[in-house]
Amino acid sequence: MGRWVLFAVMVLIAIVMLYPFWVMIATSLKSEAQFLSGGGFSWLSWKNLTATIPVGQEVVSSTIVCTASILIILAVGLPAGFAFAKLRFRASTVVFLVIVSAMMVPLQAILMPEFVNVTKLGLTGGYLGAIIVYAALGTPFSVFLFATYFRGVPDELIEAGIVDGLGYFGALWRLVVPIAIPAIATVTVLQFIQIWDDLLVGLLFIQNTSERPITVGLAVLAAGRTTSIPELMAGSLVSALPAMVVYLVFQRYLVKGLTMGIDR
Amino acid sequence: MAGFLFALPAIALVIGFIGVPIGQAVYYSFTEWNGLTSTWIGTSAWTQALHNSNLWTALQNNALLLLAVPFALGLPLLIAMLLHQRVVGWKIFRSIYFLPTAISWVVLGLVAERFFAYHGTLNSIIHVIGLTHVSTNMLGYESTALSALGITFVFTMIGTNTMLFLTGLATLDPSLEEAARIDGAGRWRIFRSITLPHLSRFIQLAFVMTVIALFSALFSLIFVMTGGGPGYATTTMEFLIYQTGFDQGAFGTAALYGLILFVLTAIVGVVQLRLIGSEE
Repeated sequence: MGRWVLFAVMVLIAIVMLYPFWVMIATSLKSEAQFLSGGGFSWLSWKNLTATIPVGQEVVSSTIVCTASILIILAVGLPAGFAFAKLRFRASTVVFLVIVSAMMVPLQAILMPEFVNVTKLGLTGGYLGAIIVYAALGTPFSVFLFATYFRGVPDELIEAGIVDGLGYFGALWRLVVPIAIPAIATVTVLQFIQIWDDLLVGLLFIQNTSERPITVGLAVLAAGRTTSIPELMAGSLVSALPAMVVYLVFQRYLVKGLTMGIDR
Repeated sequence: MAGFLFALPAIALVIGFIGVPIGQAVYYSFTEWNGLTSTWIGTSAWTQALHNSNLWTALQNNALLLLAVPFALGLPLLIAMLLHQRVVGWKIFRSIYFLPTAISWVVLGLVAERFFAYHGTLNSIIHVIGLTHVSTNMLGYESTALSALGITFVFTMIGTNTMLFLTGLATLDPSLEEAARIDGAGRWRIFRSITLPHLSRFIQLAFVMTVIALFSALFSLIFVMTGGGPGYATTTMEFLIYQTGFDQGAFGTAALYGLILFVLTAIVGVVQLRLIGSEE
């Protein structure tokens, strides 16, 4: 008896959590007239989708911005995490703390100077400005995560590598990176979802409308309040799919990243 | 020395794009600034800003939204406890519950707008339960728009926080609960004396993450759901910064508001650092 009540409650919660998907699917399968009158079924919104919202081009933009930002975050975060964990230098603890504290700085707090600086560098037209800002915002967390992860690697392994003539860079690339794949996956998945789903940076730092990521494109059309809601919902579904797939496939890395530092 | 060189790119990126702008924000908060030229006006910039009623409205909205935090923690805790009972199909339920976490808050905001709309789901539910003459339009009125935003925020946080609590519960030794049960402890007693203390670190972390999200991640929801309105009813600090800077062109004032937001999150951040620090 108790088990069945429990099961029923869980089904109920599942319905609530699936509600956004139901709204997107059901609404996108109506024409605008049908949406306003409440009933009916039509593929019209999907047929017109690319004419209203350049989803193809926007998905490409999102992919470019995500990939480039994540590559920079990894390229910068891996050696830094390695250095803070294994190659301590003068004042490295203090520097590490400063970088980790930067995790807590919301972009809005430094938005105005950031925007003006990046504009002065001439980077707010296309992807570059947004990529650098995303990379800078993602770096503190990745440094923290990699440093925490690398502390668990035995010193002897690295020392052996150095004695074998690998050098510090060789030791990082040949010995440490291969065993850091789970940490790399965690950073990649978390950052992918974060950047793919973000609005503020893309909205302000990518001024060319032809290079807009999909989340920004949707938000701007929605705020304009003139686009047909069914088409907007079809676009939303397209934008949600990649992040959902990544999420479902790499769920466990996400959980690991979220609880990093307290689950031991 | 090699260590420093390895860390240098990360240090440069963080200092250049996070550290330097903080310093600049402090400087520009004492100026009149349109993005190109700035004039030093000293502390009068601050007195002017602090006398602006919009600032206080935004701070008040942020404070009121804090009332959503207990729900954003309590509901996930409950859901995590349910999942932890491991009824048939719990893994599928887990995936379903976490799924909205992957979706942009822009999209969730659009869906929430449909939910609260005059011809939306909320009114359908109200009509189905028999209140056919009652119709709401929560986003349309100053008195209710912030509540609608708060409810949406709670929904958007459920996945992440449930995930945190479920991870916490998984690290709980089941024999402890078993022993307490044999000793005759009731469910509530076990929850209060064993489960809750065990989860305290996870609850702290979830609290910090939730409050920080509340201060700095609502932009997408506000942008698509209300645009800060009606009036200033849903303008929070982060949205006020955006409006002041990009709608009104008052970059100096916006930088100043940014500093206020910075201090607010720094207070929460100190709690977070303690949390991380106490582990080492």
